[in-house]
Amino acid sequence: MGHRSGVTGERETGKETRRWPASAHEASRFLSGHLPAGVPVDALPTDTERYGYDEPPRLSEPKLIEGETFQSIHVADQNRVVRETGFGGFLDGTQDLQPVSQIAGISVLWATVSAAVRVRVNRRLVTWGERAPIVSGRYYLPFRYVSDLPGELRDDPRVVDTAKADRNGKFPSRHPAALVEAAIVRIRQDRERIEQELAEAWCRSEQSVLFVDGSITGSRDVASSTRAIGVVKSHRQLYVDDKAFPVLVDLKLRDRSSIFQVDSGTRSPVASWYLRLRNASGRDALFGLVRVEASLSDDISSRADEISRWILAEGAPLALPDGRWDKMAYGIRDTEEFLRAIT
Amino acid sequence: MTAPLGRVVATERKPNTPHEFHFWTSLDCPVGIGTIVRVDGSQSVDGRIPHVYGIVVEGFSYTDLLTPMHDVLGHDGSPANAGLSVTERTEIRLYTAAVLRQIPEEPLQPVPMGEVFLAAEEDVATALRMDGYLKEGANTGIPIGVYRAGATDSVIYLDADFLLGPEAAHLNISGMSGLATKTSAVEWLIASVFAHFPESKGSIAAVCFNVKGPDLCYLDQPAVRLEDSDRALYEKMGVKPGPFENVTYFAPYAAKGFSLNTLRSNEALLDNVTPLTWGLREVLTYAEVLLNKDDIDAKADALIDFISERVVDRKMDREGPLSRDHTVQSFGDLEAWFRDLLQGMERANMESWRTHHIATIRKVRNRLSNISTRCAGLVTDSGDVSDLPFGSFEDRSVYVVDVASLEEDAQDLIFARIVSKLREHLERRDLGVKHLIVFVDELNKYAPGDGHDTYVRKMLLDIAERGRYLGLVLFSAQQFRSQVHRRVVGNSGTALYGRMDGDELATPGYSVLSPATRTKLATLEKGQLMVRHPHFTQPIFVRFPRPAVLSGREGAERYPQAAEATIETALYRSLRSLDPAISLAWVKDLTSLYDEDELLRLRNAALLQKPPSVRAFFEKRLRSVIPAEDASSIARSAPPALRPLPVGDPYDV
Repeated sequence: MGHRSGVTGERETGKETRRWPASAHEASRFLSGHLPAGVPVDALPTDTERYGYDEPPRLSEPKLIEGETFQSIHVADQNRVVRETGFGGFLDGTQDLQPVSQIAGISVLWATVSAAVRVRVNRRLVTWGERAPIVSGRYYLPFRYVSDLPGELRDDPRVVDTAKADRNGKFPSRHPAALVEAAIVRIRQDRERIEQELAEAWCRSEQSVLFVDGSITGSRDVASSTRAIGVVKSHRQLYVDDKAFPVLVDLKLRDRSSIFQVDSGTRSPVASWYLRLRNASGRDALFGLVRVEASLSDDISSRADEISRWILAEGAPLALPDGRWDKMAYGIRDTEEFLRAIT
Repeated sequence: MTAPLGRVVATERKPNTPHEFHFWTSLDCPVGIGTIVRVDGSQSVDGRIPHVYGIVVEGFSYTDLLTPMHDVLGHDGSPANAGLSVTERTEIRLYTAAVLRQIPEEPLQPVPMGEVFLAAEEDVATALRMDGYLKEGANTGIPIGVYRAGATDSVIYLDADFLLGPEAAHLNISGMSGLATKTSAVEWLIASVFAHFPESKGSIAAVCFNVKGPDLCYLDQPAVRLEDSDRALYEKMGVKPGPFENVTYFAPYAAKGFSLNTLRSNEALLDNVTPLTWGLREVLTYAEVLLNKDDIDAKADALIDFISERVVDRKMDREGPLSRDHTVQSFGDLEAWFRDLLQGMERANMESWRTHHIATIRKVRNRLSNISTRCAGLVTDSGDVSDLPFGSFEDRSVYVVDVASLEEDAQDLIFARIVSKLREHLERRDLGVKHLIVFVDELNKYAPGDGHDTYVRKMLLDIAERGRYLGLVLFSAQQFRSQVHRRVVGNSGTALYGRMDGDELATPGYSVLSPATRTKLATLEKGQLMVRHPHFTQPIFVRFPRPAVLSGREGAERYPQAAEATIETALYRSLRSLDPAISLAWVKDLTSLYDEDELLRLRNAALLQKPPSVRAFFEKRLRSVIPAEDASSIARSAPPALRPLPVGDPYDV
């Protein structure tokens, strides 16, 4: 990252005499000085957008914690505009990657991950004053496939090895797509890490509730806090079985589903439910559908109603012109735009 | 240090240049069109941090919406729903500023990125280069108004060297009628000039031509109301909030010659109203003003020259066709001379006299004789002259020539002759003051951009182009600047603009202004002006106080115009101002004994000579007339005895 005021970077080594790159262009030039064997490149493979999805689309049986059957529950009057909200801030993160060099067919990626919290003051969104936005720029490359990698790069924490062995001791293959995919996974993990850092800070210091774009299960502190709500827009995994599926796709505007528990092995358990933000009539089944995550609690049913109304209230103004406007709160769009502006 | 109110931004599509830059501000920032700002650069150039001063000329506001349709959809087509959303859409205030000054001035570079601050008072002085003429030793600033933005309340000064010469000169004011722009601004500015014109630069006076209504008729009377805000402006700009102390009015007589042809005819205000009357000599020099090209061909011109040089004020002996001696000193004398000459030529069957053909003589006689009719009240048959005090103009005095009620010919004649005389005296340095402001309103009438060339327009062009070297400065005003001759407005170093008409703003002359500036001009409040001055690289908006003099409308209400006077009241009013001992009864006695023309001639002479005793003045000059006796008294007295008839009187029958 650069030396932008009001933006926090990650820890720097202190040994580096040359300024750490703040852009892909700088990163390319920086690397040329350290890896003379590298050939500068400036474009990812055209199918890169398909990389990094480690989960195939699937259905999972919901573990209901509200009622016996998966059903729809109306949370707000169809004819009244919902205007009450308990959200005080919005958390989102972005990632941007760019190939900067190629060494014997192995891509070296430069990625910028960032996260910020925007808070609402007098109905307008401003950057949270307690913790500055985090912007981090790093190189991602498979150490084992790059010979003669200088020690100063190998030892720098801002240079990430994307070819470490997984829990089974298996290394990624040398296939370029596999390596790019592995890098993208690492980049996403880095982004989630800084998002969690900010979310945890929020839960420690703020009284109002944080609207988190995405899941909150990655952090135990956040998942167990009543001051953070996760809103998941993508549905590669749907928590419905064959019986519940018709109920889900038939959720009407301002309906939520029964609450279920999301509890994967590596992540913290949370209560979750689906909520229809927009009228999906004439649209695809998942139009305007989000999955909400909240901490488990005894009064989760009433909280789910209240939180659902808050989320509905955040539907105005529309997040247009973002293509995901049907599921996105305007506060999240604002945060994304903010991050785009500072990275 | 004050907090920045904005940041400079530039994109490839909208880059900054050395003369323009863009910045954004918070939504509640006190920035608007015309606000002066300062940019502090972040990178030094040649070891100096650049400071750029600019004035906001355009503003933009937009949100992150791509199309208005998205907002409609977002609120289900109901505007009322918009106010219910918990978050306001992100919005930007983006401004474009024109550069006023860069420091250092070299190298001249595009405006750098940096923080933007509201210009403080000292910044305004620097931005407008006023520091050069407000510094100790120069001190030639003339306050024109106050610039206000946020907490800044800064006096804007014009440079006297560029307003009144010799570097540049002249002032032009444009603005819609009835919005207290043109007249109010010039009244205020003359007061400011009188208060601040440096003593070291010599004396200054103003001649104002009142061309319409009662606008300038009450400059010596205090304003009916002057609000505290106006007084504060006067105090801030160091000008006394009072009427002009030394004002003299000049107006010709009405056609009948009884009273002066001015709206300032109320008896309470007549003490400083002086008649303006000219005789043959004064008019003949400017005959060109009243005679058009068809009238004056080369032959007629030669005859007029002959009359001017060889006839007027010279004794012409009885010779040739002339049946008697002539001394032509008035239009009456001239008419007698023409009549005698033509009758003599006809008698002698002469076709020409001294190379002038009889037809030319007839034509010139016709045209010249007509002048006294067309300019009745101004031009006297008798030759009496009552004029402006050329040669004894006083410092900080205003001389108002009221021509509002006159015919166009008479207005032109007055304007041409007075300005010519002023110019002559200034050339000779014997006017009485070193600098003179001439104020002319309705310039699009006197110096129109189109139409044939007139004497008055040529004179105005001459003042505009050469007057500054003489100390003759033109303050002019008009509603439509686009209709005034380009060389007149182009030579005005300083220009003021009040609220402007939209059609006028659409003319090419205003294309240098940004759309926002033009819009602001079209909506300016009373008391606001846009100022262009040679030191200011961009127009500046200022606020000026209400003039501390009685307005024309209020003056006309407070001092209603006197009713059309009879010969008795006209004489009584004018003579009583000279001699309070004059009674109406005495005047009535005079009018019953003498004819009007004779009395008016003596009245005019008395007003010129200002005798200690008007009664004695009249009695000395009037022929003795035995007053008629009352018939009834005659009837009562016994008839005188008849002389006895001579003896043998043939009529005694």
